[in-house]
Amino acid sequence: MKFLLLLLPSLISALGAYVVRPYRATVGWLNALLSLLSLGAALVFAGHAARGAEAPLFGPGELLRADGLSALLMVCVAAASTLTLTLSPGVGTETDYTHAQLRRYQILINLFIFSMLLAVSANNVAVMWVALEATTIFSALLIPLTRSKSSVEASWKYILIGSVGIALAFAGTVLGYFDFVALTGRAENALNWPALLQNAPAMHPEVMKLAFVFLLVGYGTKAGIAPMHTWKPDAYGEAPPALAALMSSALFAVAMYAILRWKIVADAAIKDHYADNLLLALGLLSLAIAAFSVAQSRNYKRMLAYSSVEHTGLICFGLGLGAAGVFAALLHLVNHTAAKSLMFFLAGDIERKYGSSAVKQTRGLLKVAPWTGGLFAAGLLALMGLPPFGMFISEFALFRAGFAQHHPWLMGAALLLLLVAFVSFITRLNNMLYGEAPAEVAAGETVGWRVAPMLLGALALVALGLTLPAPLETLLDQIMRSVSR
Amino acid sequence: MNSNDAIFAQLATLCSSLVLLFGIALLWRRSLVAYVRAFRWQSLALALTFALIGYFGHNRELYVVAVILIVLKVVIIPGYLTRLYERVGGKREAQPYVNIATSLIISGLLVSLSYAITRPLVTVSKLPTRNGIPLAVGLILVGVFVIISRRKALSQIIGFLVLENGIALLAALGTYGIPLIVELGVFLDALMGFLVMQILVYQINDTFESIDVEQLSRLRH
Repeated sequence: MKFLLLLLPSLISALGAYVVRPYRATVGWLNALLSLLSLGAALVFAGHAARGAEAPLFGPGELLRADGLSALLMVCVAAASTLTLTLSPGVGTETDYTHAQLRRYQILINLFIFSMLLAVSANNVAVMWVALEATTIFSALLIPLTRSKSSVEASWKYILIGSVGIALAFAGTVLGYFDFVALTGRAENALNWPALLQNAPAMHPEVMKLAFVFLLVGYGTKAGIAPMHTWKPDAYGEAPPALAALMSSALFAVAMYAILRWKIVADAAIKDHYADNLLLALGLLSLAIAAFSVAQSRNYKRMLAYSSVEHTGLICFGLGLGAAGVFAALLHLVNHTAAKSLMFFLAGDIERKYGSSAVKQTRGLLKVAPWTGGLFAAGLLALMGLPPFGMFISEFALFRAGFAQHHPWLMGAALLLLLVAFVSFITRLNNMLYGEAPAEVAAGETVGWRVAPMLLGALALVALGLTLPAPLETLLDQIMRSVSR
Repeated sequence: MNSNDAIFAQLATLCSSLVLLFGIALLWRRSLVAYVRAFRWQSLALALTFALIGYFGHNRELYVVAVILIVLKVVIIPGYLTRLYERVGGKREAQPYVNIATSLIISGLLVSLSYAITRPLVTVSKLPTRNGIPLAVGLILVGVFVIISRRKALSQIIGFLVLENGIALLAALGTYGIPLIVELGVFLDALMGFLVMQILVYQINDTFESIDVEQLSRLRH
């Protein structure tokens, strides 16, 4: 029942948007309200898991399951979706899109949300894969909403790289299943997480190593781990801001979730630090590429995309640093979801105001639009890991975990790379906030009433920086207990 | 190993080799017509492999998969592909980034590499089909190479389809097929993914007046 409450609203929203032609603002509002149902269901699951209760199951062949990790991701995806649908174009604000475009947008974004929610609630690894592949398809269709050379280019690169990645993840899934079938025969529930995890210790480490490489490269492509990150700046830069917000926050979290799920199985089978070392290596590479790409970026949307690569690297680090690292990584994931879902909307508003997404052309933001500029600054400072925002805490926890695991050189290098990125971020932010605005840009806010939900997001970031809410902490503790060996 | 298994093993290796050969055929031909034809034959060989494993492995579900494969990848998708290149023109893969001789050498290296990386699998497996597994992984790598080395958006799509066939072959050989319900989901995704790529090719053709991906280089820094 709760699973239906979680999954159906987005399907109903997509259907509603399909039926109502031409698009009306009421549809947008209704869909935003409906997504609250999903969020409610996700919170109930999270509460259930935090109390340490048995994970609820649903459907034929125990198709869906909601343990602590799933519940945490459900909350992240559902919250980001609610925020996105509320701030969407055509919901109570003026917009440049035509009605046909808005209708297409509402259909596709809700299908996109549905597939993400399905991916995190799927009990079967192959169903999770099918859902993740579907996210690629729906988002690739949505990137060229306003058709231009650059948006079509971005979409082509995205679907090509994304499809190859997800295909390799499927090869990895098959390789994992391969050994499993040899062990247990063809059982009905063979591809379910609990069965997989239970039999993992008996699997051949050599086979699992090969499978995990395929899975890490495959799902890593979806998450944008370097060197498979090249689609990210293009897609985030050219997608409609609402989609970019959802891709960089929720979709990214779902891809990391897939990696973590498989890593748990791989650890149980391999029994040494093979998966950890791979994650640490790719994490360091992501941090390095991100730091130098930020330094070269001239476009603030692409800069945000490289910031995503940076945080991908940090979260990879966390996943490779034992139980305390996983705790920090998941906390970081929650923070990142909150920050990124705000930033792309703000970037979209700024671009509309200035008619350009180049850092050079964007001057005097604080004078032109103090609320937009202020929120953008706050969000970027949060992404840099400064207090009093949540990411300061999670990064601190992450580095502590790293030093506790005796990786001083690695953590030192990571800190240095963060510093390089920090300097580039701060000079760009400085350039955007102050100075003389171009003469043709009229002063005045574009956010309007939407400042309220955005402030809520920013407040959540500050709250996570000042305190770790008790329910979240117990939930993370529960997850950590199930993750650690 | 009884004689039945021995025949099965030989037939499975033969079929997998055929599937791989049609994949490599992409590398020595240049016209898109030949690409589509090679893909069609490859899918047929793949369907045959599924039916074979279904027969010897006593798994009726695989017959269903073989039929779906024929409908989807021998009839529907090649049909769409033919219509696509007739509409957008550009029948030849004029100049791939890597020339034919080098491409063939690289694909040979990729297949040898796949023998090296699948060694642990082949040694732990007791399946009669195990000797085909390196060929399937080789096909996956060749598919990725086709995508990287070709310039026409259409050739890249075919490269992707070949990659998918490689994975399907791996699933068939290694596990005697994944559960049917999952297989159906995979097919649905494959079809939708293909259709979206097709839409994008039309959009690329409309906005750039060509499907040469060389022109897709506006987005930097």
